[in-house]
Amino acid sequence: MPKEQYRETYVGRKISHVTFNVDSATEIQQAAHIQVITKNLYAQDGQRVPASYGVLDRRMGTNQKDANCETCGLGLAECVGHYGYVELALPVFHVGYFRSIITILQTICKNCAKVMLPETIKKSFSRKFMHPELTYLHKKNLRAAKSPAGILKIIHDKYRTKKPTDPLVQKVLKDFNEAKESNKELASMINSGLIIEMSPLEVLNLFRRIPDEDVPLLGMDVKTSRPEDLILTRLPVPPLCIRPSVASDIKAGTNEDDLTMKQSEILLINDVIARHVASGGKSELVQEDWDYLQLHAALYINSEMSGIPLSMQPKKPGRGLVQRLKGKQGRFRGNLSGKRVDFSSRTVISPDPNLQIQEVGVPVHVAKILTYPERVFPANLQWLRQLVRNGPDVHPGANYVQQRGVSHKKYLKYGNRDKIAQELKCGDTVERHLVDGDVVLFNRQPSLHKLSIMCHRARVQPQRTFRFNECVCTPYNADFDGDEMNMHLPQTEEARAEALILMGNKSNLVTPRNGELLIAATQDFITGGYLITQRDSFFTLSEARQLAACLLAGPDANMRIDMPPPAILKPRMLWTGKQIFSLIMKPNKRCEVKANLETKGKNYTGNQDMCVQDSYVIIRNSELICGSMDKSTLGSGTKSSVFYVLLRDWGEEYAVRGMWRLARMASYYMMNRGFSFGIIDVTPGNKLIEAKNKLLESGYSKCDGYILEMEKGTLQCQPGCSMEETLEAIMLSELSSIRELAAKACFRELHPTNAPLIMAQSGSKGSNINISQMIACVGQQALNGKRVPNGFEDRSLPHFERHSKIPAARGFVENSFYSGLTPTEFFFHTMGGREGLVDTAVKTAETGYLQRRLVKSLEDLVLHYDMTVRNATSEVVQFRYGSDGLDPSYMEGRDKPVDLARVLRHVRASCRTQDEEPLDGEGIVVAAEETLALDDFKTCPPEFKAELLEFLKGIASKVRSLRERYASAGPVALQLERLTLTQLVRFIRVCHEKYQRSIIEPGTAVGALAAQSIGEPGTQMTLKTFHFAGVASMNITQGVPRVKEIINASKNISTPIITAELMEPTDQEFARRVKGRVEKTTLGEITTYIDEVYLPHECFLLVRLDAERIRLLCLEVDVHSIVYSICTSKLKLKPGNVQAVSEWAIKVHAEAGKHGGWLNVALQQLARQLPSVVVKGLSKVSRAVIACDDTGPVNRYKLCVEGDGLREVMATYGIDGRRTTSNNILEVFHTLGIEAAAGTIMSEVEAVMAGHGMAVDMRHVALLAAQMCARGEVLGITRYGLARMKESVLNLASFEKTADHLFDAAYYGQRDRIEGVSECIILGVPAGIGTGVLQLLHKHDHMTSQQQHKLLFDDPKYHSSIWE
Amino acid sequence: MAGVLFEDIFNVKDMDQGGKKFDRVSRLHCESESFKMDLILDINSWIYPMELGDKFRLVLATTLRENGYPDGGEWNPLETEGNRADSFEYVMYGKVYRLDGDELAMEPTSRLSAFVSFGGLLMRLQGDANNLHGFEVDQHMYLLMKKLAF
Repeated sequence: MPKEQYRETYVGRKISHVTFNVDSATEIQQAAHIQVITKNLYAQDGQRVPASYGVLDRRMGTNQKDANCETCGLGLAECVGHYGYVELALPVFHVGYFRSIITILQTICKNCAKVMLPETIKKSFSRKFMHPELTYLHKKNLRAAKSPAGILKIIHDKYRTKKPTDPLVQKVLKDFNEAKESNKELASMINSGLIIEMSPLEVLNLFRRIPDEDVPLLGMDVKTSRPEDLILTRLPVPPLCIRPSVASDIKAGTNEDDLTMKQSEILLINDVIARHVASGGKSELVQEDWDYLQLHAALYINSEMSGIPLSMQPKKPGRGLVQRLKGKQGRFRGNLSGKRVDFSSRTVISPDPNLQIQEVGVPVHVAKILTYPERVFPANLQWLRQLVRNGPDVHPGANYVQQRGVSHKKYLKYGNRDKIAQELKCGDTVERHLVDGDVVLFNRQPSLHKLSIMCHRARVQPQRTFRFNECVCTPYNADFDGDEMNMHLPQTEEARAEALILMGNKSNLVTPRNGELLIAATQDFITGGYLITQRDSFFTLSEARQLAACLLAGPDANMRIDMPPPAILKPRMLWTGKQIFSLIMKPNKRCEVKANLETKGKNYTGNQDMCVQDSYVIIRNSELICGSMDKSTLGSGTKSSVFYVLLRDWGEEYAVRGMWRLARMASYYMMNRGFSFGIIDVTPGNKLIEAKNKLLESGYSKCDGYILEMEKGTLQCQPGCSMEETLEAIMLSELSSIRELAAKACFRELHPTNAPLIMAQSGSKGSNINISQMIACVGQQALNGKRVPNGFEDRSLPHFERHSKIPAARGFVENSFYSGLTPTEFFFHTMGGREGLVDTAVKTAETGYLQRRLVKSLEDLVLHYDMTVRNATSEVVQFRYGSDGLDPSYMEGRDKPVDLARVLRHVRASCRTQDEEPLDGEGIVVAAEETLALDDFKTCPPEFKAELLEFLKGIASKVRSLRERYASAGPVALQLERLTLTQLVRFIRVCHEKYQRSIIEPGTAVGALAAQSIGEPGTQMTLKTFHFAGVASMNITQGVPRVKEIINASKNISTPIITAELMEPTDQEFARRVKGRVEKTTLGEITTYIDEVYLPHECFLLVRLDAERIRLLCLEVDVHSIVYSICTSKLKLKPGNVQAVSEWAIKVHAEAGKHGGWLNVALQQLARQLPSVVVKGLSKVSRAVIACDDTGPVNRYKLCVEGDGLREVMATYGIDGRRTTSNNILEVFHTLGIEAAAGTIMSEVEAVMAGHGMAVDMRHVALLAAQMCARGEVLGITRYGLARMKESVLNLASFEKTADHLFDAAYYGQRDRIEGVSECIILGVPAGIGTGVLQLLHKHDHMTSQQQHKLLFDDPKYHSSIWE
Repeated sequence: MAGVLFEDIFNVKDMDQGGKKFDRVSRLHCESESFKMDLILDINSWIYPMELGDKFRLVLATTLRENGYPDGGEWNPLETEGNRADSFEYVMYGKVYRLDGDELAMEPTSRLSAFVSFGGLLMRLQGDANNLHGFEVDQHMYLLMKKLAF
């Protein structure tokens, strides 16, 4: 069967909404076909016939192939199943609604069953609840105000608030005791008369009495359900098809589903209770069975219920209804949000540089199984006939033929294929094999961003693996160490078209995260490109031609190649690699591609193009002028790549073509040149060993010096650090620098042909760290950003002396992998390695969950046609996407649509206008202003126009000054900064065009893009978890943990830091005074002693202030302010008891009264408490450090404050409150409001990403912030935050806490409109996102009265009768 | 001579400042005798080795034809005999890609630099603007060199 194509016009039925409600007993009965009463599963005749009126009764459907349903008469595949019901002997609580039941009981009067609220409040609330437009979110928030005892039991502790001596309580107790005496049975069941257990029966009766007008006050909808429905009196029995019984061969009999078993158990208990009741059994027995029934009814719904007493615990945990729904494998996530599909395949991947970028190599074996239903029409009739003749076993063949008007398909394996082929006619459908050029979707898990599934063109090849060009590894994050990937074959023409245009990997060369190139040359291609374009790579005529000839393949097979003239003509003709490389962009004169690029390479040293390392790349009109290509000019993740320029200025086709040419040329070149890696490459020369030893020596002696200083106590402390910490910090940085210096030495000493060096310099693989570790020195092993800690007593390993601080004892590895590690070094290295492994393992799990939450919360944000970003319920989240409505993937500059300097260079080079007179300074400004005023640029926003003009004015002033300086130089001076009128106009037009192109398309799923753009980099974040905030001693959390904090909107973040600017930023003395005001200072810190003084006539504490220290800390305290602080502290001292004796001494008297009259006890206690009295500063601030910024001409100081209390810090005198920020989002929210909080979210996310060298476009971050703050408060992207952001129950249920959300929805009678992405996917409806935002293609004007044309010959004069 | 843009005799003052970075290419720093022009030039040192203190004649021409006719930009591997290159030892073909002023000088001056790339082997010719007459960006040119005996 070909897949039925989706047609929007088919609107006979449409799901508009889903309603949730609690079924009443009557409704359960109405939905059911039979009442189930028999506890037996099968009739006792041994025939395995289901017992009638049992849980397996055939009237509820069938679960066997040979038996038909007795209700509808259909077979296993067709019958949808029918419900039954079980009548419970006694009512029981429904586990899902148990909490709601308690809440209702707490709200209503236990006598009259009315809601306990004054009449007026009742009215106003019921008006609110009756409001028809009331949203689910509001409804949940509107809810206005006993404890469960044991399992699913409610106890009404009526007299809890009253004292036991209260007469009312006395009376009840007396009554109870009397009753107890008269009925002994009662005593064993109820242990106290004061608390009453509410049985389900009582609750049911109570609920029945709740008046209809009070029900809305409970949040329920009277029309759909009433409170008594929350209590089970009937239990629906689900159809057989959802609980199939499996006949097992091993033991005679069947394996029944958990649900079936539970149902029959319930029936059994039911029977027992009914018998007891009928026979008037003991009430204890009934009570016990009732509890048992309650338990099993609960387990049937939720088998993972907690708090079941040990004696009642079921032997094997079954799967309840709730367990079927929830979790990753549950119905919602496993079967509704994601489904298993046909026409898919999966196998191992391997690389193939001979495949084009957009191709994927498909094994024939796969091609013969995946089919595409191709409709026969005259043009393909002959071809399809041949395919049919080939049949299913020869590759370009076909598996089935579906003839028009015939319902069944013909399988082509058997039967007369020639005949079928002859009979093939237009309109038939042939399920043909996958052939070359077919459109397929290619995917690798984890699919973290939209580029993880892309569309390729198939190329059928005779092997067993999927193959693709290595350039496409990056978006899939694939390597070839055994990775597997999936391939899907779209089944309709529409799907193919959409896949090819929207998901084609040619259309997705660039990541929407920041507009950088993602598909670009990798590894060997970069190495090859680097080697070819070295300054000293020369080729003879034959070599050059051979290299050029490898471009001739695929679509270029018949291409003409124009060799450039050789760069060196004499003494012999030689071409340089750069000339050959230029052929990649422009192989012949007819090719119109003119790429222009000017950028620094990886090893740039200075002097622009005259860089001695030849690492300043200039490409002018597709000619590589200078510079060797490396990762920054060929690779992915950059905007200065050749391919990026080709893509942006000439289109994706040329970019992809260029990449492929490089892939072919580079791999050909590498194969011939040879590129290998051996022991000789990592053997250090004598010079290098010498350099390394010198480095180690100097490093060690420096460290020894620090240790010595530390022992002497002369070490200069870093701000906010103790001496010990300072030593650790300097040692770590000293030792880390050894490795870096060693790497530099390697780069210096190694020969340029050294393979690892080439790889590191070209950026294709490895870094200077790797080189240094292999050849010179492995370096300091760090754990948690510190040196190796002491695992033994006072030492890291028993090989060292205790308290040893020398580098080797703390994990410094001075050997290289080549020279070999000593045992201790090896052990330290494994410690570092283990930390890395643990970190990756933990990180993958954490980032996966982070990504899922991000996507769930942002998935339904769409850009609408009015350029607003709205969520599924059409609430505005952003009025203009990213405040400018531009697409991040089109950003050529940093968050800007056009890189003006680059465009100008491009226009100048590509459009020479040799004969034209260049403009002078004034001419440029005038011409620019006039051009921009043209009608063509009406659509250009004024901000962009201003930016353009500003840029051109800069050029104009440059031209002006050049003309002045070279006035005497003659005509050649006109060549400097030459800009003609044509070029200028062209420049403005190109910029305008680029701007227009970068305007984002309505319908873009901006939310999903933002979520992926923030979540995906998380997986790449490395170990670096800490980063210093201005000062060494104050580090802030980084990486995934910090992203998690931000996204969760955590209240308590691990490193809250307030960065406070000062009123006088250049004055260190001032900074110190402000610090004194902010930092918490206790009395103990500024006293020399606190003495107990016992004199004959008085006893007191003498507090001696440390004048020197107060002066040093610049504290603004004096004896009086300290006395005041002591009096106002928590010690509750009377003002009279604290007196200032002198300027530096305070007398504190103690009251003897409290401690049994012992004055000395009181004094001693006071002496203990006094040092912790805060005398100055903010209590929430634990530490403040002055940070010094010495990059500018003058040192600028600011304050880094650890801790909370932004409000207090801002209000402190001397601090510039306008430029004071905190990294605690909620603190900012409470202090400055929601907009400031959104700003903080943005800056914090940006900071974390920047800390790991990952650029994320601000638009994505801004959208995340907007969504988190959209409700007027900061909501985290957690299950709690999400529940307050989303309207839809299905959406929430498919996220987390599935059952809770469903039960809640049923209780409130929620009406769920199918709008969001999740809901649409669950119900199989196209979502209003992307191409789905468009509902109406064309609105036809109402029929205006049509004018009837007169018929030409309907004229009386032609009607003259011939008879006349 | 027709088609010649510049001609002078240079002395090699320095080679490979800051160490030799490439095996087969040397960077020469030279100064001219008559026009006092500064020259930085990359040459293939394997096929044409130069020593410090060498003196050579350098000609920059737009064509190799003696009569000065432009050679049309097409490269013909056969057309090699009877041209200007015969009297030189080392000939390169390249393109002017940049003409630049002196960034440092603020007062009116007439020193200009011309940058030429011979397939990645760079040349910077710096000196009085009047000696760079006829230089244009994107212009193709031949560099002809011959060592002079002392």
